[in-house]
Amino acid sequence: MLKKQLILKDPLSFLGYETEETEKKGSFGAVTSRAGVGKTAFLVQIAISSLLKDKNVLHVSIQDPVDKVNLWYQELFLNLTRDHDVKQSKQLWESLLTKRFIMTFETESFDFSKLISRIDEFSTQKIFIPQLIILDGLTVENSMQPELNILKEYAKKNNLTVWFSIRTHRHQADDPVTLLKQFDTDDSQSLFNMIIQLMPYKDKIQVKRLSIDGQVDGQPPLLIDPSTMMIKETTEK
Amino acid sequence: MKPTMQKVRNIGISAHIDSGKTTLTERFLYLTKKIHRIHEVRGKDGVGATMDSMELEKERGITIASAATYCQWKDHEINIIDTPGHVDFTIEVERALRVLDGAILVLCSVGGVQSQSITVDQQMKRYKVPCVAFINKCDRSGADPFRVIDQLKEKLNHNAVAVQIPIGLEADLSGIVDLIAMKAVYFDGEFGDIIRTEDIPESLMELAMEKREELVDAASIFSDELTEAVIEEAEIPESLLIEAIRTGTIQQKLTPVVMGSAYKNKGIQLVLDAANHFLPSPMDVENEALNLDKNEEPLPLSGKKEDPLVALAFKLEDGQFGQLTYIRVYQGELKKGDTCINVRTGKKIKVGRIVMMHADQMEEVEKIEAGYIGALFGVDCVSGDTFTSSGLNVSMTSMHIPDPVISLAIKAKNNASETSMAKALNRFTKEDPTFNTFISKETGETIISGMGELHLEVYIERMKREYKAEIITGEPSVSYRETITAVTPFDYTHKKQTGGAGQYGRIAGIMEPVADEDFVFENKITGGSIPTQYIPACEKGFKSCIAKGPWMEYPVTGVKITINDGAAHSVDSSEMAFQAAARGAFLQAYYKAKPVLHEPIMKVVIESPAEFQGNVMGSLNQRRGIIIGSHDFGQITTIEAQVPLSEMFGYSTTLRSMTQGKAQFTMEFSTYKQVPKSVLETLEKKNEKKTRTGT
Repeated sequence: MLKKQLILKDPLSFLGYETEETEKKGSFGAVTSRAGVGKTAFLVQIAISSLLKDKNVLHVSIQDPVDKVNLWYQELFLNLTRDHDVKQSKQLWESLLTKRFIMTFETESFDFSKLISRIDEFSTQKIFIPQLIILDGLTVENSMQPELNILKEYAKKNNLTVWFSIRTHRHQADDPVTLLKQFDTDDSQSLFNMIIQLMPYKDKIQVKRLSIDGQVDGQPPLLIDPSTMMIKETTEK
Repeated sequence: MKPTMQKVRNIGISAHIDSGKTTLTERFLYLTKKIHRIHEVRGKDGVGATMDSMELEKERGITIASAATYCQWKDHEINIIDTPGHVDFTIEVERALRVLDGAILVLCSVGGVQSQSITVDQQMKRYKVPCVAFINKCDRSGADPFRVIDQLKEKLNHNAVAVQIPIGLEADLSGIVDLIAMKAVYFDGEFGDIIRTEDIPESLMELAMEKREELVDAASIFSDELTEAVIEEAEIPESLLIEAIRTGTIQQKLTPVVMGSAYKNKGIQLVLDAANHFLPSPMDVENEALNLDKNEEPLPLSGKKEDPLVALAFKLEDGQFGQLTYIRVYQGELKKGDTCINVRTGKKIKVGRIVMMHADQMEEVEKIEAGYIGALFGVDCVSGDTFTSSGLNVSMTSMHIPDPVISLAIKAKNNASETSMAKALNRFTKEDPTFNTFISKETGETIISGMGELHLEVYIERMKREYKAEIITGEPSVSYRETITAVTPFDYTHKKQTGGAGQYGRIAGIMEPVADEDFVFENKITGGSIPTQYIPACEKGFKSCIAKGPWMEYPVTGVKITINDGAAHSVDSSEMAFQAAARGAFLQAYYKAKPVLHEPIMKVVIESPAEFQGNVMGSLNQRRGIIIGSHDFGQITTIEAQVPLSEMFGYSTTLRSMTQGKAQFTMEFSTYKQVPKSVLETLEKKNEKKTRTGT
């Protein structure tokens, strides 16, 4: 019951994404913003929603230690279930833990081939078979294009969705799509097929779904309350 | 001449296992001329390090009990407590930190901030102990002290700043650049005891300038004078910079970082200098006692030797010289022949021989003054006891003592061993508050309990070696707990008429689960349906049921009892009748309240070469472990998991064979969680069998 109620709070469906889009084989999503706006918190909410839908989530973090990432999950889950029965929430949390795996890397020790070989190893040994990967804290650069394409192929083959946090700088903040377009090798097909932009707005954070051509994608923007980092279901015009 | 109080340092050395604490202490003792030869922890000479005075410590290459020692460096007196690195023995670390004014946090330049560094750091923060970080093993392949400094900032939230940089790294480590004096320091001679100071090599000048700027910048927050000097671009005197760093360190707002290699004897003198320069003297630390006359209000201690005595016994040892009580004097002085009071027992104690300790050798002294650490002979006390002058009713803050999580039945093989075993247990329980012993009422067996498998193993081994007791051990068993999950009303009448005065008592109310408490009792009786004088008897009756649960006979926790109605008889009601009624009410409600069994879950952290991580994770999965995550350092991976304690028996052997002995793990209690159904069935069967056979 609680699980069903919480699934309704899926941030992606608030933004109008359909299951077919979010669970498409090899889907790449990007949450973009300047530093410190709330990319990790938003990604963790996407992850929690997937966990609630019984999907296995691999959270890969560059730099942040395991405990810190775990704390994000705990806090956001607590905020999500604040109005619900504590005992039920605790039980649900315990059950979600078995579906989540946090893998953290030092910046210098991370590379895509290592990540892929780790996932392969875990899958072969049936330790953990991810369905969603959150890749947080990686500085995505133009030179990474070949590796990103390899990861895309791998994701397609293994029925995976990958969400990235993409940090934008001041001059790119208004135009994350151009930034992401540089990774496309093929004009007809974009590497990233879901783009979400976070921007400070008055005393809140605005969440916009962008289309691949850079337009705000139909849906009105959502707002995040910075004190809880949770989506406020009502939007302000 | 004895140094003044400002020049006394009471310091601890804390770190993760195998970071080199004992090796570092050994160098300290050698350089301060307390010992004349260096013995390595696992050295070929078979002597073992001086601080590892227990035979078992020498054999296993680990430090179990902390030995206190003191030495002199330059014009300062340094009391050092060598602390154990394994989590099973953290009570020793906690005790050491309780009595120390400062600490040296030893970190491995390859491993960086490891799992236990985090535990130790939390303990230091709890007892507000300022520290200097020493990045050891800079001679090892993969050494990167600056990465460790970043980890200190990110993982431990320290405002860490380098006061040195290494000259060369890994096999090329040849010396240290002192960023305060801006000089290169080299350590010549067999044990690095000949110091050669030179100009900073040209190749390192730029880095040294950059790091010094960072240092001055960080320190200037703590000194207006230094800030002024920086703004005016004036020359900064060494003493001014040292003073600013010292102020920041004592306030725990700055962590100066020194580096080197204890094994290769590089940089050790500078660690001692750092302890003198940056760590507080007893005068710099405010200590508080609890005023027992005023509802345990905190009472600041003056630290003056003229004031009445306040001292804390923080460690007992029963060694070759009889019982030794390690003591820290916080106020006043403890003189040979004086009388003082043990606050816990109220008994008077005559102070006999007083000694200052150097591992297992000692130096007899006439008195211990405020701020100093020493040891007494023949004093009857337990660790944690406070000694005061007559008329002063204060106690030092009680220490945080975790509950034991594992127990084991033991039996002596013969009568002689039984006597020795009793003696040993008496001593160990006095020495270590996390180690308990009791006799099982059902089986008559002696049960010992503690903080982990290794913890108990070490005590059994010590009984065999030090007391020559031959011991048979049973299977270790986990401290399960029963608790309830549903709210249930109860209404029970205890009525007995067997001639003479009868027994009558009726109790009604609610039994419900409660989080974070073992037992809560609430009285909501109105109108005197149960007379007030019988309420304590009701509580006592309920309480007597929680020690051993009616279902699986494990202690019951997390229960709230609210009584709201009842009845009494003017002649037949008594305290006994209401106690019996409470027991009846508890049994009536308990099974309806859907009891469940909880088991201790341990936080397990494994450090393993990356190539074995799949196997290691597989082994954790097999043990009902939930893997929280892994952290990749390149060659090494740290895996963090939550695993039931019952599944961790013998894991060290499994891990060793699985990883060719290259992985290590630490384990500490994390939480209690409900036992899954499949495991519960096995436990129930075991329990039934036990009840049937009476064993």
